Amino acid sequence: MNADIIVVGGGVVGTALAYGFARQGLSVLVLDGEDGDMRAARANFGLVWVQGKGAKAPAYHDLTRQSANLWPTFLQELEGCVETRIDYARPGGLFYCLSDHEYEARDALNKRMHNQAEYADTRMVDRRELERMMPAVTFGSEVVGASYCLADGHANPLQLLAALQQAITALGSKLLFRSTVGSIRPEKTGFTVHATSGSFRAPKVVVAAGLATPLLTEPLGFTIPLRSERGQLLVTERLAPILPYPASGLRQTADGTVMIGATKEEATDRGVTVASATKLALRATRIIPALSAARLVRQWSGFRVMPPDGSPIYAQSERYPGLFAAACHSGVTLAAAHAAIVAPAMIAGRLSRDLAAFSNGRFDVQKCA
Amino acid sequence: MSYDVAIIGAGPAGMSAAVRLRALGAAVIVIDEQPAPGGQIFRGIERNAASPVFPALGEDYAKGCALVAAFRASGAEYLPSTQVWQIEDGWNLFLTTERKARHITARAVLLANGAQERPVPFPGWTLPNVMTVGAAQILLKSGGMLPEGRIWIAGAGPLPLLYATQLLNLGGRIAGYLDTATTPKLSALARLPGAWREFGNLAKGLRWLRDVRRSGMMIKGFSDLRAEGEERLEHLTWEAAGKRHRVEADVLLVHEGVVPRIHETLALRCEHIWNEEQGYLAPKLDRWGQTSRKDLFVAGDAGGIGGWMAATVSGEIAALGIAGQLGIAANPDDLRQAAHLDQRRARALALRPFLDALYPPPRTRLADDVIACRCEEVTAGAIRSAARNSPADPSAVKAATRCGMGPCQGRQCGYTVQALLAEVHGLPIGDVSFFHIRPPLKPITLGEIASLEHAEGAA
Repeated sequence: MNADIIVVGGGVVGTALAYGFARQGLSVLVLDGEDGDMRAARANFGLVWVQGKGAKAPAYHDLTRQSANLWPTFLQELEGCVETRIDYARPGGLFYCLSDHEYEARDALNKRMHNQAEYADTRMVDRRELERMMPAVTFGSEVVGASYCLADGHANPLQLLAALQQAITALGSKLLFRSTVGSIRPEKTGFTVHATSGSFRAPKVVVAAGLATPLLTEPLGFTIPLRSERGQLLVTERLAPILPYPASGLRQTADGTVMIGATKEEATDRGVTVASATKLALRATRIIPALSAARLVRQWSGFRVMPPDGSPIYAQSERYPGLFAAACHSGVTLAAAHAAIVAPAMIAGRLSRDLAAFSNGRFDVQKCA
Repeated sequence: MSYDVAIIGAGPAGMSAAVRLRALGAAVIVIDEQPAPGGQIFRGIERNAASPVFPALGEDYAKGCALVAAFRASGAEYLPSTQVWQIEDGWNLFLTTERKARHITARAVLLANGAQERPVPFPGWTLPNVMTVGAAQILLKSGGMLPEGRIWIAGAGPLPLLYATQLLNLGGRIAGYLDTATTPKLSALARLPGAWREFGNLAKGLRWLRDVRRSGMMIKGFSDLRAEGEERLEHLTWEAAGKRHRVEADVLLVHEGVVPRIHETLALRCEHIWNEEQGYLAPKLDRWGQTSRKDLFVAGDAGGIGGWMAATVSGEIAALGIAGQLGIAANPDDLRQAAHLDQRRARALALRPFLDALYPPPRTRLADDVIACRCEEVTAGAIRSAARNSPADPSAVKAATRCGMGPCQGRQCGYTVQALLAEVHGLPIGDVSFFHIRPPLKPITLGEIASLEHAEGAA
């Protein structure tokens, strides 16, 4: 055996799980793909976000909230393990409303969620209160208010990925780049994973390969349904600090750059379009007109990993116990839960008990109904 | 607005292509970052023609007058001071002139956007008053401005010598010239016979060298050049013959050759070829200058460094190639022969193999504390450390260090990152890829982009 557990995928989901396994004392081998692979871990927006998540899926909302609450400890432990620093702040987050209609719809969503979960930390703030909260900003005339959730924050997702990758090595486990996995073969005991860099054996395998996950699990009768959704993002030059609160689709990083995103598109190529840049720039400058003068430095696209109902999938194959899959959107928000909750549950065989709502079996039920 | 051909750049290649295409009846728009035609080599030529600076700029500069006049008379639509910030398939070009964004379409695009100076990091290169020779020459051509104080030049290649000569012609002085060129190797001399056909050019180079020697100190065979100072450049130090030398300096002009501007072709995902001898990437072109993407052409130094005469010819060749492909000219091959374009190009490039061998890019090891990425202030050491924790992939280093994420989009640090990754992973430099280039090709404000919505809504 080459390791106690092999993780296929060196993105933010795979490395957070691997970090969780390594912290439990397991020897982990992470196999990462090619340089040019689609990498949600490098394209994403960097929110550690609670409000609005899992509006129709209480278990997902709870896991999100748990993860957001675990983040400070997770970060402290991670930074204790590697030299990399991760920009993180949790001042609470905003969702701007640009009309009475948007404001009322958001208010209704919050009230609905109050009924199903602890949601007292989210409230509507009107324009006057927004202006008090952000004295350095002059809001556009259409800004009516926002919803404000104390549990929200943001982090630098690239630093997070780098730290997780380094932590795996620091904990004595291994990460191999340019090791695209072609197939996973169940053996009498354990599995053989065939990768471009060689073949590796382990008693357990976790597939956390983003949108490529089904390619590896489907041949083994292990169905992980996913769809991809393209999102385009913009980032400006560095500006003096003006946005003390991250917002859905608009945040200022610790470096001073302002990120604006993200569109939701059906496209499958990784291009970007001026039409989407125009849409994103328009909304951002309607919220804060002064952003008109900010220079756009970069525009890029990434692909969301979307299970059909939006909730994560954490599953173990019934036919081949020891083969797991983890696929989800919001890998940054959920990173703390992946390390502290999901990884231990996988090892201890408690996945179906503790995280039953996230099994892939839930989609079969829907089909039968 | 819709055109047959959109040409980007109004230097020798762009102008000659425009003149040819107009003569064949194509609807042509030329988009130029500069306020007037001429490119870098003939920058400001129309305005300078009547100025006392003109004779000092040399014979080659004067040769641009006829081309600019022909371009002005060609009937091509000319958009000066305009930046192309995005090119989408089809072709859709997004431009900004004086802070106003607009959109045009064209059946074919010719990139004739030239070269940029090779960024060469060394200790102190980011200090104020350390600048490139190219930047100094822009100041000279744009307003006759000369640097003041003790001026030092460090570099290699024809441009520093030419600039030094221009400076001396205008009564300027050079305190010293640090010649970074290595002694000509046999490999360079072996290529000389071909170059003798262009004896004029070679003699010119030797004359420049003699003039510079007469003016100030000429230093060769040194290493570890450092620019030092508190707020700005104060002195230079270097090592020679086992001794550390130190001089006071007010201005240091550096130059280590030019490399093609490839951000546009990279962003458009054209195939590129690594030029090992000169250490740069250039788009792969067919015999008409067409890239790996149909109806996207490149002419001039943007397709590989050849100098202005070769650029002029390649502009004409690309014009004929485009005209043939768009059905504007039925017999591009005949026209190519009739104008002796291949012979003219061979003559223009005769000296190039010799120059390329004579002036290889510097490949000294960068110290860990030298800044590689100016925009984000990332040191060579930080890049090495990220490279050790990643595959030999510039995107991974960019993600880990922010190197290349600043406004210059990696124009300054791209090749440095590539070289450092190659060094850390023990690979040939050409095996390491370049950054993924993301739009916009030029910084544009959010307000300018947002204004496109209104413009299109109103249309």
